[in-house]
Amino acid sequence: MSIMTKFWLLIVGVALSSAVCADYPSTYDPPPHAAFVLTHAIVDVGEGQGEFKGWVSVADGKIAAVGRMDEPIPPGVLEINADGRWLTPGVIDVHSHLGDYPSPGYRAHSDGNEATSPVTAEVWAEHSVWPQDPQFPLALAGGVTTLQVLPGSANLFGGRSVVLKNSWSRTVQGMKFPGAPYGLKMACGENPKRVYGSRSRSPSTRMGNFAGYRKAWIDAQEYQKKWMRFEKALGEYETWRANNEGESDYKERPSPPKRNLQMETLVGVLKGEILVHNHCYRADEMAQIIDLSREFGYQVTAFHHAVEAYKIGDLLAANNICSAMWADWWQFKLESFDGIKENVAMVQAAGACAIVHSDSATGIQRLNQEAAKAMAAGQRLGLSVDASVALTWITRNAAQALGVADQTGTLAVGKMADMVLWSHPPMSVYARAETVFIDGVRRLDRAAGLGPVTDFELGQREEVF
Amino acid sequence: MKSVLIVMGLLGVTSLSAEELLIKNVRLVETSFQSGKVRDLRIVNGVITQIGADLVASAGAAVFDGEARAVTPGFIDSGTTIGLAEVSGLGVSHDGEQVDDDMTAGFQVYLALNENSSLIPIASNDGITRGLIVPEAGDSNYAGQSALVRFKQGSAFLQEKTMAQHLYLRESDRRRAGGSRSSALAAALEALEESARYDAQRRAFNTNKNRAFNLDESDLIALSAVRLGKVPLVVQVDRAADIIKVVTAFGAYPRLRLILAGATEAWKVAPLLNVENIPVLINVMENLPQNFDRLGARLDQATLLADAGVRFAFFSGSPYSETRSLSQAAGIAVAQGLSWQQAITAITAGPAEIWGLKGLGRIKVGAIADLVIWDGDPLEVTSAPVTVLIDGARVDLETRQDALAKRYVELLNLK
Repeated sequence: MSIMTKFWLLIVGVALSSAVCADYPSTYDPPPHAAFVLTHAIVDVGEGQGEFKGWVSVADGKIAAVGRMDEPIPPGVLEINADGRWLTPGVIDVHSHLGDYPSPGYRAHSDGNEATSPVTAEVWAEHSVWPQDPQFPLALAGGVTTLQVLPGSANLFGGRSVVLKNSWSRTVQGMKFPGAPYGLKMACGENPKRVYGSRSRSPSTRMGNFAGYRKAWIDAQEYQKKWMRFEKALGEYETWRANNEGESDYKERPSPPKRNLQMETLVGVLKGEILVHNHCYRADEMAQIIDLSREFGYQVTAFHHAVEAYKIGDLLAANNICSAMWADWWQFKLESFDGIKENVAMVQAAGACAIVHSDSATGIQRLNQEAAKAMAAGQRLGLSVDASVALTWITRNAAQALGVADQTGTLAVGKMADMVLWSHPPMSVYARAETVFIDGVRRLDRAAGLGPVTDFELGQREEVF
Repeated sequence: MKSVLIVMGLLGVTSLSAEELLIKNVRLVETSFQSGKVRDLRIVNGVITQIGADLVASAGAAVFDGEARAVTPGFIDSGTTIGLAEVSGLGVSHDGEQVDDDMTAGFQVYLALNENSSLIPIASNDGITRGLIVPEAGDSNYAGQSALVRFKQGSAFLQEKTMAQHLYLRESDRRRAGGSRSSALAAALEALEESARYDAQRRAFNTNKNRAFNLDESDLIALSAVRLGKVPLVVQVDRAADIIKVVTAFGAYPRLRLILAGATEAWKVAPLLNVENIPVLINVMENLPQNFDRLGARLDQATLLADAGVRFAFFSGSPYSETRSLSQAAGIAVAQGLSWQQAITAITAGPAEIWGLKGLGRIKVGAIADLVIWDGDPLEVTSAPVTVLIDGARVDLETRQDALAKRYVELLNLK
């Protein structure tokens, strides 16, 4: 074994033993901007505590200070008068396929489902994302500043998700949310059993789905043990080498096991470094998945398309699991038959984490309207949900599920200045995102005719701002 | 005759006498949610007979107070699939298209409709009282004939068996007819020509002297109705270049009534559509450039059509997602520059005129009492109908979704 080979094995071994390795790093680097203060805005900071007339100052891409209009405005910086319009945190979509199912949507562009095996935890959505997808600017026009792009739901384990800043870039790396944890897409129910059952292979039933999950987690545990044994041996060897004393079974540097990308992702979940985003419609299946997570000792971060979450709000609250939901999609498949408009508000009322998501390149353009519908349905049922609480469904709670709540999702001092200035109250159908800031940079400004145009659109279709 | 009616009135023959409903204090919204006068509406036998202030109920009339809430005509969906599939993802319950036949102009959706579909009250809960149930293209670009329905479960569901013929000429549709747009359009026109030959030789056909036709008789009869303008032809087409060709080609049939649907790039050829007086059916929320035919997709397409003087109406396409809400679509159109009144018109009087639905789409004396009373701005996503009337009768707005919500609110003690 050459010295160089040993060197590389050492690097790989160390990297694997410390953290999830080999992600292609984010190169997202927002340009500098002049410090400014937005004044005379109706501010909702995204904590569900209501709105106030106030100002928000921004410097170096971060929220520098927030105050009411009767509190002194920081002097010496550019003042932008919001003129009574509504300021909220940027909208966050936890469930999107922008870039991996782009427009135009031809087969040549269909990169969201590696539907060749029920377990494809080894694929990463970011390797499919086309950054020139014209759907990104359309989502920006709806106020979306951060989104999670997931693999599809054909497989039990679909692969890794990626969290993106909705900022036009030549590369996916240039959109990656710095430091955001990865997600693992899992899927319950009809889709995996339909896709593989139709090919006469497992899973063809829901029980087949569960056997598939359990087998994969058992494999992941074995893989994790193999690496732990290697790390222990390496540690012993290193100690022996350093001190040249004591006992070691290894007179040569131990060789690391061969890397397995599929297992690396699953082990990342078992270590709590990768967040589980589980497509699951039915309440009874969610309850089974919770038991599965207990069996293998991992946490489900969020159930997506949780059409029946309202039936088990107590269970979800007790297990600290978010539910990402549509306002009013149902009956398009049998597992969505019991969808109700009150779902989101009932999950909220049960004390669980509620999120409104899109899974749609049109729906992502109006998540505020979808939250508004869910809020109104809850109010009609007599539940106490107001516009400020409904806003958390598409901002703070979404940031929490993506593991980036310490960086974005509310207008708290020190967080990224991801903000939307709306023409009308954000829960109104008439509300348009007029100005959208990402890290303090104006990425959309309708009054100035400013907004991104992707390469695909250039010269043949341009967004109207 | 007159004396007979008077005698019946004197005898108090209630079973034959008029059934009256008096709605007090509803706001006849005009240019905005806040505009319009608060008036009373008298409805007799399902028809609005009087509009005024302080109307007095006749003896035995039902009365209810609208509390100055907004009232609109029932919305009209210019294209959906309710009644053809309970759960769209289950192939077995889908009845909206005919397959294994390369010509299905004779296909009629009304024979497949489920008048007790659980999706019917979903529509009325969105304030939609009437709609066209439209066939999808199966193996034929001529998909068949749509029906008109009332969104009310039971025997009253079907209103008209045949409303229009539907032809699909989008980017993906050419594969059904020779693989080219050229062959697809030629095949569509040739089918009309054959219907003309059939009409000229119908006697020979019926006496078995000439049966040398490529198409089935049911298709020929359906296409003849299109050619002669007895039913309109709704063409789903997106690309501006194709719209021009469709307008030109079908313009050769002087009686044929052309309507465009989908029509993503109609705004690019709006002057032509205005001159030819061709109405356009659009789905407001479809603004993705999903293929090269749809590069011109825009969220403000309704505003552009309105500014060019083109007649248009909104359709939902399907009942399973937010696009089913015509009021949300209309609200989005307003946010994109359309006036509130134009937006309401695109789901009431606009489609009523395009489809020739007399008595629908407007609130006036003599109109059919399809009415929706709202708890807020009818176009707001936070609003919902308080009361829906179809033909003057209140619609039960309770759904199985309501029952599910109630069950789990109680089970989890959420209030």
